Amino acid sequence: MIILKNIEKYYANKGVKSYILRHVSTEIKQGEFVSIMGPSGAGKSTLLNILGMLEEPTYGEYEFMGEDVLSLNERKRIELYRNHIGFVFQAYHLIDEMTVAENIEAPLLYKKVSGAERKSRVADVLDRFNMVAKKDLFPNQLSGGQQQLVGIARALVAQPSIILADEPTGNLQSAQALQIMDLFKKLNEEEGITIIQVTHSEVNAAYGSRILHLLDGVIKEDIAVEQSV
Amino acid sequence: MFRLNLKIALRNLWKNKVYTAINIGGLAIALSAFILVAIYVRFETSFDHNVPNHENIYLLGRTLPDRKTNYTSLSLAQALKEAIPEIENVGRSKKTNFEFAFSTPDGRVYGKDVITIDYTLAKMFHIKPEGGLVKPEGEALNVYLPQEFITAMFPKKTPVFPAKVSIGPLEVKQYADVSGIVNHNVAHSNLVFDALLITADVGKNQEPTAYNYFTYIQVKPGTDMAQLQKKVAAVYKEELKKSAVTAVVNRGSVESKIANEVNLVTNTNKADQSGVFLDPLDNLHLRPIAGNNTNYKVVMALSALTVLVMVIACINFTNLTIAQTNKRAKEVGVKKVLGAYRLSLVFQFLIEILMQCLVALILAIILAEISLPLFNDAFSVSFSLWKDNYELVWQLPIVLLIITLISGIYPALILSGFRPVAVLKGNLQTSYKTLWLRNALLVTQFTVAIVFMAGLLIVSSQLKYMRTEDTGFKAGQVVYIKNIVMFGRPYFENLKARILEMPGVNSFTVASDIPDGSRPGRVDYAMEGKDLGMDIVHVDFDYFETLRLNLKDGRFFSKTYPADAENGIVLNEAAVAAYGVKNPVGKIIRGCDMDYRIVGVVKDAKMQGFETAVEPTVYAIKSDCANDKMKFMVNVDPDHMAGVLAALKSNWKDLNKMDGDDFRYEFMDELYGRLFKKQEQLQAVFYGAAILTIFIATLGLFAFSAFTITSRMKEISIRKVLGASDFNILSLLNSFFIRIVLIANLIGWPIAYIAAQRWLETFAYRIDLPILPFFIAGSISIILTLLTVSFQARNAVKTNPVDALKYE
Repeated sequence: MIILKNIEKYYANKGVKSYILRHVSTEIKQGEFVSIMGPSGAGKSTLLNILGMLEEPTYGEYEFMGEDVLSLNERKRIELYRNHIGFVFQAYHLIDEMTVAENIEAPLLYKKVSGAERKSRVADVLDRFNMVAKKDLFPNQLSGGQQQLVGIARALVAQPSIILADEPTGNLQSAQALQIMDLFKKLNEEEGITIIQVTHSEVNAAYGSRILHLLDGVIKEDIAVEQSV
Repeated sequence: MFRLNLKIALRNLWKNKVYTAINIGGLAIALSAFILVAIYVRFETSFDHNVPNHENIYLLGRTLPDRKTNYTSLSLAQALKEAIPEIENVGRSKKTNFEFAFSTPDGRVYGKDVITIDYTLAKMFHIKPEGGLVKPEGEALNVYLPQEFITAMFPKKTPVFPAKVSIGPLEVKQYADVSGIVNHNVAHSNLVFDALLITADVGKNQEPTAYNYFTYIQVKPGTDMAQLQKKVAAVYKEELKKSAVTAVVNRGSVESKIANEVNLVTNTNKADQSGVFLDPLDNLHLRPIAGNNTNYKVVMALSALTVLVMVIACINFTNLTIAQTNKRAKEVGVKKVLGAYRLSLVFQFLIEILMQCLVALILAIILAEISLPLFNDAFSVSFSLWKDNYELVWQLPIVLLIITLISGIYPALILSGFRPVAVLKGNLQTSYKTLWLRNALLVTQFTVAIVFMAGLLIVSSQLKYMRTEDTGFKAGQVVYIKNIVMFGRPYFENLKARILEMPGVNSFTVASDIPDGSRPGRVDYAMEGKDLGMDIVHVDFDYFETLRLNLKDGRFFSKTYPADAENGIVLNEAAVAAYGVKNPVGKIIRGCDMDYRIVGVVKDAKMQGFETAVEPTVYAIKSDCANDKMKFMVNVDPDHMAGVLAALKSNWKDLNKMDGDDFRYEFMDELYGRLFKKQEQLQAVFYGAAILTIFIATLGLFAFSAFTITSRMKEISIRKVLGASDFNILSLLNSFFIRIVLIANLIGWPIAYIAAQRWLETFAYRIDLPILPFFIAGSISIILTLLTVSFQARNAVKTNPVDALKYE
């Protein structure tokens, strides 16, 4: 599904290149649950941003579902966002002025889904996440865990083939974090959604099927996780 | 999607109520000023535009060595029509100099602007009396009156025309037939009248060379005006040669009374140096060749000012919107990763701003409607927002679109251009690339505000000076009584004796001119070999006493010297200075074919207001060259004023039999005070402009400081962590803006100084340019700055540094 070849990212400052990513090559298949780990400054978030097409690498090739991402125009890239990619953020990034239901509905609007279907899909997702009672609340009326659930619901409602999550539990207490990770695992196993997450936590990483260890912009380890749970 | 965006927009606007209110309010106020000025400018620039062919109509004028005038001779019109084929039509009008009473047993009205015009001119201006314009037969004079006159005279029902009314005093038993009602919008036309006499030939039985007429010509469309001008000039020269022998040259401008225009014979050779010009009807109201173009300058300045204010308001709107972009950045980032096109985001923000502009426009219309009475009052007009302004219906939506684009396009582009990766990481730093532009804008706004503040204070000082300064005469207790009876000694003495009998009357006199700003006639007088033009005021005994003029030398006219009534003359100081004679009293001065003996010198009095210097003036009881003395003035003790007026009113028919049936009077001080009207209008304009510009500038400052402080939050937090006190932070934030305002002051002061200096130079009597207004304007601007910035900064000062530093 995703093929990275020799991805490099550096910032040139007064002739000195400071590398964020070096020679990153890897392949991620449909249905994998990948955790990107590493210390601060290793380039995890940058790698995820490149995967999410929010940033462009300085060099290298990136193929997403058979398409060369780096040669895509803005419009095509937005099409990919609409149809294939769901984002989940550490700070949730819900739109404050929208209610829970409206936040979840938003991606469907851009996908030009009909009104009736939007309604049913939003109702469906709300039901699945047990948030029907909260649908008319605004984000600031929810707890962090609940907000992140809305964030995931929003990512899911457009039925993406891949979810990119940047420290999805970073702001949460551990009980809530476990709940979110369980949800990810379930989505991955039951619906076959590819998940790539950046995390600091070994516990969280253990939920996935594969771990990429980054150090100073280089993949040090690429290991499969033994399914123990 | 649209509904959702709308909801977001409304929730956002509601959340930032203060900003929204300021944003919309500022725009609304600027817009309402814009609407008012647009109406005013449209009105001022469209005089006579309802006359078809208005662009082909010209008023003839003459260039004389010392001035320009529109008074032309009777014969010129016909000669032009015959000689030049491009001239399609000519027509003349002639003013009547005195008030005309029209009465029926049921009511009486006074025509103050009675004009006689050629039938051809009526056709040229498309004057349509009710029932249609009929060509008067032979020498007939068709009288047309406005609806109000007819209603006043025939209160019960509209009469069948022609209707008989009496003209002048009832006892004279002079009658005329009113041919019909004429409805001509004189407030919006150069052809001003309240009673209109139409005749086939205005010049019938009149002196053909009297320069007493306005001549209008209508040319064929597409005429080469330069060519025509030459042809007209040639015809004019021919006419001059024919009439050179009896050339009568008048003096004075359009405002002065016609009577001045006719009688005064001056050098015939002046006529040879005269030329002729064509003044387009479209220019006549605002910038006539013979007259001043102050109105035009005012219209231009007002338009420029409003457009400037409008643009500044839009830019302020932009700034305030951008100042809040941080709050919307996340929404943009998220929407983008959810798959929103940039264009749809641009559109979303534009719609949002359009909504605000729409609200502002509605508020502006309400504001304009509310302030219209004030505006009408200040400019002595009667505008209504919707009457005659249908254009507004399609102009306002266009204005709405334009202001939306001006104020919205930049924030929409900035907002929609946020890169999600930067926004979503949480450390958005809005860079401020156009800082100098912003500073320049703020400086401009404050400069304009300071100029108007200082200007307002200076105009007010000059007005105060004009109201309190000694004018050389005292109008306070003087009543001017209108009169149409020619002066006759026995008749007048009888009237005077009876009026002086009334308790409280100090003195009573008659003169050709009163101190209402008009210019008396001018006649050449020779003394000790110097032949100079002098203003001549035709007076009678007690003239100086009635107006309380001050004696400089010799004595005023007195009954004890019967010769005064024959050849006595009083000069004012300016006249004495012009001749350069010492001890003029007793000397002989010659003018108007007779010798006068100077009996006294009167101190200069500012009878024509403060704008022109006191002219060399002579006062004589007998003069065949001066205008007739017909204007009565009575000096009354203030305590007895009401009684005297009542007595005059009830006995007038008996006292002054030949005048007519009504006692008509005005208070001299009010009449003189009208000379200040223009300055009072200017003061009103400055007052409005000062408030408007201060408001807009403060708004701009508010927006700018909001933005600066938001983007410096991190710096402020770090400083606080490092131990800065609240006061340190406040002075840090204020000092930058104080600098900006100081620069604005430095630029604004010289501009205000030069403008004020030039304005003051239009007055012969003026204040020394005061320094205080500049300091007051400066202080106000600085105080406003401190208040505005501190208001914004207080949030920054109160914020816990942790909140600002947390996400880093």
